[in-house]
Amino acid sequence: MCDSVTELNRMVMTGVIHSNDAAAEDFFVMSVAVSDAFQAAMPGQFVMVRIKGRDFPFLPRPFSIFSVAHEGGTTIIEIFYQVVGKGTKLLSRLGRGDELTILGPLGKGFDIRQDRHTIVLIAGGVGIAPLNFLAEYCKGSDDVPEKQTRIICFMGARTADYLIGRERLDKICDTLLVSTDDGSEGYCGTVTDCFENHIGSVNVEDSTLYCCGPYLMMQSVARKVRKYSMPCQVSMEARMACGIGACLGCSVKMKTDDETVRYLRVCKDGPVFDVAMIDW
Amino acid sequence: MTVRIGSLELKNPVMTASGTFGYGEEFAPYVDLNRLGAVVVKGLSLEPRAGNEPPRIMETAAGMLNAVGLENIGVRAFVTEKLPYLRQHDAAVIANIFGETIDEYSRIAEILNGAPGVDALEVNISCPNVKKGGIAFGADPRDAAEVTKRVKDVTDLPVIVKLTPNVTDIRAIAESVEQAGADALSLINTIRGMSVDIDKRIPHLKNITGGLSGPAIKPIALRMVWEVAGVASVPIIGVGGINTASDAIEFLIVGATAVQIGTANFVNPRATEEILEGIERYLRTRHIYDVNDVIGTLNVREEM
Repeated sequence: MCDSVTELNRMVMTGVIHSNDAAAEDFFVMSVAVSDAFQAAMPGQFVMVRIKGRDFPFLPRPFSIFSVAHEGGTTIIEIFYQVVGKGTKLLSRLGRGDELTILGPLGKGFDIRQDRHTIVLIAGGVGIAPLNFLAEYCKGSDDVPEKQTRIICFMGARTADYLIGRERLDKICDTLLVSTDDGSEGYCGTVTDCFENHIGSVNVEDSTLYCCGPYLMMQSVARKVRKYSMPCQVSMEARMACGIGACLGCSVKMKTDDETVRYLRVCKDGPVFDVAMIDW
Repeated sequence: MTVRIGSLELKNPVMTASGTFGYGEEFAPYVDLNRLGAVVVKGLSLEPRAGNEPPRIMETAAGMLNAVGLENIGVRAFVTEKLPYLRQHDAAVIANIFGETIDEYSRIAEILNGAPGVDALEVNISCPNVKKGGIAFGADPRDAAEVTKRVKDVTDLPVIVKLTPNVTDIRAIAESVEQAGADALSLINTIRGMSVDIDKRIPHLKNITGGLSGPAIKPIALRMVWEVAGVASVPIIGVGGINTASDAIEFLIVGATAVQIGTANFVNPRATEEILEGIERYLRTRHIYDVNDVIGTLNVREEM
């Protein structure tokens, strides 16, 4: 009986904050120690986070997993978030030792294609979070063949100050190309234009594209990749209540062959989708 | 902990609220479904429904707005794909049904009447988020009675009618539905509300308005259950903003025979089981051996 309860409880747990540091104005990286029960997470999966013992925010919030590390017997997950409302503002004020209620890992992560040997990442702003985890995973996991570890990363942000996590990515990626809206570093313009400018140096026949960022950026990528017949997966974001497929709040419109309207749940069918599945 | 809803006996008074628990299987990793009194499934229509365009939800003070629009797989797919899994468990299965016309309610009820594993029907005449049907039937005592009667005519299952709070006098609807043959009443469905993005000056929901749920509506739900308990002789299932065991016990005290846990499932997927444990603890510490000894025991006469 006790065993079965523990088994059922395994995905709802208390996380203890190790650090919660501003990486740029309104952008924070938080590391949280979770129990051993936290199951092996795949890149692209997310966690639902609530401040323990607080009635506000009422609903938990979804965050992509930025990285997973093991220190001694403890699993540490990192999340990278932007302060956008009252909930994330409160989160940003928490510090070492404060407790969160964590549910996860949830959702369908990236499908790492074994038949293609180059991984191309396109990240816009806070969208770097799941892609950083993907890059770390591909370099560190025994599941991914050695030859498949060529990673090209296109990373975009508003200014140089917001290129958060680039030092880590620089070590992992074979090529890292940055772009900024104001030209304060790298290519001046959007990350999608930067990607298109360099498409000639990418072996599209042997590459898979992984993309995460603002909706309009992913929409732009979706249009561009059609030209190159390159498989592309996107990690979507939506308002969520439950994170486990029940509330039907986080729907995105699915691409259908006919006029029928169908929706996909970001939390359960995604958050990672093949780009062709979404009606952009 | 056993309670009776018409001819249906539940091993305890804790059930899930329709639309907040999927078809049960979504919660199997978190909750022992066998512990629950009943699982009320996501509202079923005759044909599959895609639901409303997103955004569909928005958090508001102590609650949330939703305008999902009854997205569901349709009653036939429910029977073949979802029911076989659900019925393996030791929890009653209550099918929530929704029609755009009275004929549709009747046809869905017919299909479910022959489906092994369905223990009761809950008739949704109270959804605020669909253009046709739903609240249109629940806001008028005659229409509400007509839907109830037509469903009763074609089923042997206990029929629970779910009422909307978006009416002037919920007691009039309750009385009318009871006279039409309802075996039980569940109340309340969500309260219509809205929320606006002040930067873009657009509604937060694509549907503009949505149904408010969560702790914000609990006092209203409680008041309505108490009011209806004063006029109804069939069992009442209390629903609306129940987040803790003490919330649930309040509903029992004002006259609910059972409770449904809704939005709390989104905040904590283990909410139903934790609330059940809390009710058990409440009874145990007060040496109350039968939960029915709590139901309808509100004392309004004596000094407080």
